[in-house]
Amino acid sequence: MKWLFSTQWAPLLAATAVAGIVLGFATKQFGTAFNVYTILQTTAIYAAIGLSQMVVLAVADMSLAVGGIAGLVTIAVGGLYGAQHWSIGAAIVAGLMLGLVCGLVNGLIIAEVDLSGFIVTLATGTAFTGIAYGVTSSIPYSSIPSVLVSLGQGRASFFSYLMVPAIAMTVAVGAGFRWLPIGRSILAVGGNREAALLAGIPYKRAMVVAHALSGLLAAIAAVMYIGVLESATPATGSEWLIISFAVPIIGGTALVGGDAPAAGCFVAAMVLAAINDVLIVLNVNTEAVQMAEGLLIFAAVISGKLVRSVGRPSLISGKPLHIAGGEGA
Amino acid sequence: VRRAFHAGDAGSGLGVGRAIGVSLGRLSKLLGSHTSVLGLVLLIALTWTGFTTIGGSGFLGSFNLYSVGQLAARDAVLGMAQALLIVVARMNLAAGGIGAMCTSLLGYLLVVAHAPLWLALVLVCVVGVLAALLMGFAELATGLSSFIVTLAFLSVYDGGALLATGGRQFQITSPAMQTLGNGTLLFPAICPLMAVAVVCGVLCWLLYFRNSLGWKMLAVGANERAARASGLNVAGVVLAAYALSGLLCGVATVMNASYELNVNAGFGADWLLPSFIAAVLGGVALTGGEISVAGILLAALFYDSLQSGLTIIDVPSYWIELPQGLVLLAAVLLDQARRRRARPLALTPPAEPGTAGLSS
Repeated sequence: MKWLFSTQWAPLLAATAVAGIVLGFATKQFGTAFNVYTILQTTAIYAAIGLSQMVVLAVADMSLAVGGIAGLVTIAVGGLYGAQHWSIGAAIVAGLMLGLVCGLVNGLIIAEVDLSGFIVTLATGTAFTGIAYGVTSSIPYSSIPSVLVSLGQGRASFFSYLMVPAIAMTVAVGAGFRWLPIGRSILAVGGNREAALLAGIPYKRAMVVAHALSGLLAAIAAVMYIGVLESATPATGSEWLIISFAVPIIGGTALVGGDAPAAGCFVAAMVLAAINDVLIVLNVNTEAVQMAEGLLIFAAVISGKLVRSVGRPSLISGKPLHIAGGEGA
Repeated sequence: VRRAFHAGDAGSGLGVGRAIGVSLGRLSKLLGSHTSVLGLVLLIALTWTGFTTIGGSGFLGSFNLYSVGQLAARDAVLGMAQALLIVVARMNLAAGGIGAMCTSLLGYLLVVAHAPLWLALVLVCVVGVLAALLMGFAELATGLSSFIVTLAFLSVYDGGALLATGGRQFQITSPAMQTLGNGTLLFPAICPLMAVAVVCGVLCWLLYFRNSLGWKMLAVGANERAARASGLNVAGVVLAAYALSGLLCGVATVMNASYELNVNAGFGADWLLPSFIAAVLGGVALTGGEISVAGILLAALFYDSLQSGLTIIDVPSYWIELPQGLVLLAAVLLDQARRRRARPLALTPPAEPGTAGLSS
């Protein structure tokens, strides 16, 4: 039980749960099965997006290409199924492979040229989005397979079916970082690149694998979102930048790397989805949701810094983000 | 370059040889640090020739060059706004958010409140400075990276501007603004905005090469720990960089509004990419401590030449985003290759965690 109180997201979850129960009694719309289903549906998408960013934050890097990869994968799946008449299984597999390859490209450039993820993924993310818009002439594919629609919009009472892949991803990523050798080496490289190098842990492999995994997770998020939207549009992912950082950061991921709290990510996704929903139920503008997200990121990083500064004073002592890693190694 | 030749002229007798040697050394040093500027001039020449060959004379027509100049002027100022913070090893992801807020304010003051133009312009710049200063204070107080601070503020400013205006349009009718953005200066192909960009460029150059504050910024960016150890007021220098970056965001807002005229809070949403392309392509080191004002101006000109050229040779608008990404990628890779060639044996010890921190 002790860990429950020591984790960073526990108070956040408790506060949200209390607020949710109060709102459930106070308003008629909040506690309904349909509304809870909406929250869980958003949670699943947010969690997938957040995990995609978390795995690169773990290696002390970042990816601004999460949305770009998602846009490209969306139109690949939609196009292969709708225009090329592939079977839906083959289209999804091809889409996931494409996401993996996009991530791989990012990772290879960053590791081989020794640049920061920020500027490389800003460029490649724009390029991926550009390809998605160019190939489709900005026209979405509207023939969406029923399998994806029933996954994205299906529910058993309040339980959105999208929770199944989201929970599976969270567990798999969490377990991978906990038990797989490559997961451990990603954390080691993220925690201290020089120490990891001296300990014989391959920096490049950790960086490439982290980015490839991020691409794959972004692709899964994209496939999940196709069913929710019932349309495969290249605009998918254009609004994902802030949420991709908000989820892992609120979930307690350290910006300096070496940390991958998958469960925290999931809880943060749920919290953000619930806040989003509350503001909509209370008839607040979507712009206010955007503002709230920004303020929450800030609050989360500061609280995370305070929590950390008690236990491990030196780790997050305002070290500026390593923009271009050219000087190290 | 001119200074180098003057040094050569000044020599006489025995000193001539030495003076020439010195001047040659200076010349190569100057050229060495300006390879990106020369490269950009070549690149622009190449682009212009290419588009004229493929797309016909329309590209070099004064109408097209005018619109290229209009956009390039704004992008150059955005690039400088970004570079001001990159120089101190930080970044400003919220440039577009400040732009959205300033645009809304400008629209409100001119269209709804009927404020005099000078007052509106002053207030817009003041708000730009204050918005950026707030981020600077937040960064210094929390010791967080500027990436995350400015990302959070981007969300807040963007959302705040949309919330405050409710997405309404403002039709600016001020004749002075129309002349600024749509008038001509001496030649039909020159927009007055280009003069604004050049003036900003000259002021930036004066700041970095003729003013101690600029030197301090370069020092903080190159090695923050060393700068603090040598007695610099690092926090003050960083705040100054934030304030100036915000000021240029305000200027860019006015420039943008002067040629668009029909403005709303959605302005600024697409500023992130051009601001980084102008700065990085212009040769500003992402690690901080380096600046090239001419590079930024030329990079913006190249970027917008490319954009307009692609439109002229009938590339559909939905293919426009891909080259933007590719240009930035190429710029980053070339820059890295250039730096590696410049100091192939530079073995730097690994950075210790938290060495350059502000709260340490």
